[in-house]
Amino acid sequence: MENWQKTYIENTRSISRLSNFFASEGSAPETWAADRQKAREQCVLLRKENISLLNRYLFPALDELHSLDSTSVDALVAFADELLDWKTNLDPGVYVVIHDALLSVARVRKDTDAVIRELYKLGMGYYYLRRYLNGIDVPEAAAFEFQNEMVFTEAGSYLHYFDQLENEDTKGYIIRAMANVALCTRNTSRRIAASAKTLQVAQDPHYRQQAPNLPWDAFVRKTHQQMSANREELSSGTMTTAELAAVLDSCYEIFKPEEQSENPSVRWIWPFYEMEYNCGYVSAEVTLSRIEHLVSKTPPDQFDMSGLYANVQLPVYYGRLLKEHPRLLENTDSIRFLNEAYRKMIRVLLTCPPDAMDDYFFYVIRAVITDYYEVEGVPSYKEITRQLLARFGGEDYIRFCRTGAVIRCICAAIYQKEPDFFDDIPFLAAIGDPAEKEKALMAYAQDCGLYFDFGLLKMNISRTMLTRNLFENEYRMYCLHTDSGHNDLIERPSTACFADIALGHHRWYDGSDGYPVRYVRNRSPYRQMTDITACAAYLAADPGEDPAGTLSRMQKKSGKQFSPMVMAYLSDQQLAEEIQRILKADPSPYYEEIRQYVSG
Amino acid sequence: MTISSRIFSLMQEKNISQSELSKRTGISTRTISDWKRKQTNPSADKILSICEVLGVSPMHLLGGEETSYAPTDSAQESDLLREEIRSLNLRLEEAKASNMAKETFLSNMSHDIRTPMNAIVGMTALAKKHIDEKARVADALEKIETASGHLLNLINEVLDMSRIDSGRMQLADERFSLSDLLHDVMTIVQPQIDQKGHSFHLETGEIPCEYFRGDALRLRQIYVNIINNAVKYTPDGGRIEVSVQEEKKEDLCHLFFRCTDNGIGMSEEFLQRIFEPFERAGSSTVTKIEGTGLGMSIVRKIVEAMNGTVSVKSSPGAGTSVSINIPLHFMEESVQPAAAALKDKRLLIIESDEDMAHVLDGYLKEFQIPHTIVPSASAAVSALTDAEFRQTPYHAVVIGRKQENSGSIYDIAAYLNKSRPQLCIILVSDQNWSEIQYQATRAGIRYFIPVPVFRKSLIGGLNAALSEGESGSSSFAAPDLTGKRILLVEDNLINQEIAKEILSLTKAEIQTAENGQIALSMFESSPEGYYSLILMDVQMPVMNGYEAVRRIRALSRADAGTVPVYAMTANTFAEDIAKSREAGMNGHLAKPVDINALMQMLRQVL
Repeated sequence: MENWQKTYIENTRSISRLSNFFASEGSAPETWAADRQKAREQCVLLRKENISLLNRYLFPALDELHSLDSTSVDALVAFADELLDWKTNLDPGVYVVIHDALLSVARVRKDTDAVIRELYKLGMGYYYLRRYLNGIDVPEAAAFEFQNEMVFTEAGSYLHYFDQLENEDTKGYIIRAMANVALCTRNTSRRIAASAKTLQVAQDPHYRQQAPNLPWDAFVRKTHQQMSANREELSSGTMTTAELAAVLDSCYEIFKPEEQSENPSVRWIWPFYEMEYNCGYVSAEVTLSRIEHLVSKTPPDQFDMSGLYANVQLPVYYGRLLKEHPRLLENTDSIRFLNEAYRKMIRVLLTCPPDAMDDYFFYVIRAVITDYYEVEGVPSYKEITRQLLARFGGEDYIRFCRTGAVIRCICAAIYQKEPDFFDDIPFLAAIGDPAEKEKALMAYAQDCGLYFDFGLLKMNISRTMLTRNLFENEYRMYCLHTDSGHNDLIERPSTACFADIALGHHRWYDGSDGYPVRYVRNRSPYRQMTDITACAAYLAADPGEDPAGTLSRMQKKSGKQFSPMVMAYLSDQQLAEEIQRILKADPSPYYEEIRQYVSG
Repeated sequence: MTISSRIFSLMQEKNISQSELSKRTGISTRTISDWKRKQTNPSADKILSICEVLGVSPMHLLGGEETSYAPTDSAQESDLLREEIRSLNLRLEEAKASNMAKETFLSNMSHDIRTPMNAIVGMTALAKKHIDEKARVADALEKIETASGHLLNLINEVLDMSRIDSGRMQLADERFSLSDLLHDVMTIVQPQIDQKGHSFHLETGEIPCEYFRGDALRLRQIYVNIINNAVKYTPDGGRIEVSVQEEKKEDLCHLFFRCTDNGIGMSEEFLQRIFEPFERAGSSTVTKIEGTGLGMSIVRKIVEAMNGTVSVKSSPGAGTSVSINIPLHFMEESVQPAAAALKDKRLLIIESDEDMAHVLDGYLKEFQIPHTIVPSASAAVSALTDAEFRQTPYHAVVIGRKQENSGSIYDIAAYLNKSRPQLCIILVSDQNWSEIQYQATRAGIRYFIPVPVFRKSLIGGLNAALSEGESGSSSFAAPDLTGKRILLVEDNLINQEIAKEILSLTKAEIQTAENGQIALSMFESSPEGYYSLILMDVQMPVMNGYEAVRRIRALSRADAGTVPVYAMTANTFAEDIAKSREAGMNGHLAKPVDINALMQMLRQVL
């Protein structure tokens, strides 16, 4: 690797460490806020250097890729490999940019081995990049899945020429790409077909003889694992007999030996139970009691994959079962268990040490955000997510708090002059007493600041944004945070009133620009609050910016990007000064709030 | 009693003086006096107006008058007078009926006119009230626009009817394509069909003639009107089938159009009146189905003006079938020369709709054009890989109407365009091209063939798509840019050489600059309009690309703001792309420059 590449990797790791508030646990409470601010400043500098490194070295190298010497190309590949190590996955975006360029060169050179290898690597890059969108069920995400599927499909289609290819590694890429097609589609039949075809090829002596040094047995096992991931669909009733048999076969192949072992890991035993439930071998009641047993026996300080599986994923699954079968709620013990399990789950998430926070950790957080079951007797979704925001939002949490304070300030000014301004919002309109109403409005305003960018928590794209600027495809993904936040918030009564704010805060007031198009201002009873949040979020976006300058820029877009009504209030000198005071205020109290969360 | 004496008796009875009768009927007082003095009767044309003033019917005035009337004139005169009066009576009844129809029409129309007018007036008031709320005003204007559009339709139909009735309608006699006509009809009716969740199927039989002479606009009006009626009078989720067939008879080709729905249908009694103006199946206030009741009347009049026939079959609850037969002059146009040029081209078609695949397969086989049909994007990628490995690559990919288990047409096109920019990507679709063109061309779709697909439209379309821009190198499909001048700004000499090599395929004149400063000087010293395009590297010594473009755009010459400038850079940060746009660049080409992506851009820009 070249020096700039090493520096980039080191910077990225440092940013990751510095921005992880939990990692600074050792700081004394009195210096904690100051340490955090110092760390933030360091992150800003490292980010700046990273951008400069990419601009000075990476882009020119890609620019000259056709004429680059092999040593430089090798260094570039090593750099990319370091950025996507399948565990911490420092920077899938840069990995994709590099392999996309290498594929382009390979195609022009008609180098089949290189084309296949780069297709596979690009496919893996896309796959890890798509993790930003895990659990985000919006149509726009399909385009990224399709792109990923096509890359693997193309590499896999070289199977027809398996015999004619000489390089064994290339043959390995073909088999792995074939199998990975299953990772790129939500269509169960196609996933099963891709895995079934790969199993057939990987077990075929003809192919094995063609490439005797390939880890064929590992391919078979991995593919069985992929096939077994379809176990959730066993109860859907949409599978053909052959598909059903294929999935069951793989589940037995992978999980049965574990189930029979003396001390089976939860990670392996639970999928077996899940399969049994989805097949109808065991009832929902039995499955609930199995979960209760597995969760109870797992200590809250077990942060390995099995521990997180038992303490986080299983309570989430338990909630899903109760939601799917409301009759199970009649048993109050179930709710009592769910309450305890959820509380333990949040404790585990909040106390997980930094070295255990790998890709899987963020995967389980996404599962919590997506599938948390808000029901009477358990902590509300708002309560849970507020803690997650404080714990994992990092610097964003400070921004959210600041934005909330600005929203409060604007709302107070408006309410004073126009008490019925917010009366389209049903829960506020229902409050008769003006003092009570104002109190409710102020609390709501503060929380709008906390929840408007809620979608970012699940996407976990902020880590990349701290490291460098986003690439175009990453930015397209980032834009989906509005839909993501909306879809999760609207599902639960305690947060439904923030859903439109999350959806519409990037859409322009006059609807001529911004995103997403599906937010139609005039149809939302929360539109006034969304307008205010859009202004407040813009003002609080960059703590380094001069608020007066930002306000002046915003006034130019009044009636277009920003609501003219809100901008009219913001033209009031006194209100503008109050907002500037909020934005320039010492953030220590916010940091202190986080510290209290972090220290449990 | 004579008629005149009866008149005077009635005048007395109703207290109407001679001068008042004269004033109200326009008959001179002298004439009225003469009737009394000379015992003569008024002429028939005056009787009607007298009756109106006296408030009696002519028959009443004449009632039992024969004996007393007869002696005053000859028998012949009496017969003539009676006949005249009878005829006047008939006209009066007709006038009354006509008045009644007008009243009914006005009553119907007043509802139909008032409804959108209410929206217009109400929304205007609302917009004024919230004048500072731009979004609310925009919403109100949107509603006003919709209501105005509806009102305009009503007015147009009423005027159309009047134009036809007065014989002022003239039919055009122009060449038109049946494929384009039917495609237009489908794109017009599709939104309403989708809104009501109907299934819609267009079936075209053997189409020997594709080009006709006639009035395509009026034909479109007829077909849209019929299908719209089917849409309106079919409950949500219904079925509408349209079939179009042809039959050649001597020098004419009969175009048979039939639209069948499974909607509410019509009673036998209504069916008798369906072509009468202002008739609708049920009142719009009851059925919520809006319209003037003029549509079918207009349809019949236009069809008849085209020497065609229209017939309707229907019964309540069993749907309706409207058949139209119009004889048209057709134009013989051979497909063979275009097809011959395609015999050495290989086409890959992605189509999972069996009917469409069958149609495409049939035409391509008929003209022996090599092709493969696959149902999905995955199968297409495999087929392309196969073909490349066997060194028999495809020349074009046709993305059809439906694809199995694939992304959107744009996703498919974008992937194919990125991975194989040399491929010509063609879209066969029933969508409105003008609506999807921007997104489609951005995704790399180069040509559009409208559905329904006929021989000539398919072969002609393929030929145009594959021959477009071919100049020397078919694999790169370089556009012919003879006479154009491109300024290539690139500091890396190898890159500059590669780009020059590629650009030379276009026959454009290529001039180079090693940095932004040189490029700026070259542009400044060139005559206006000298450069057709500037390809600008971003990171360069002396002056970078952003700065150079900013300065070019700031020059006070007419082409400074219009000359297309494209960035060629590996900087793919979203911010960088935005920065290049802010600097005044029109677009962005990723490096390492892909020959085919460059060609694609040149084709689009120049």
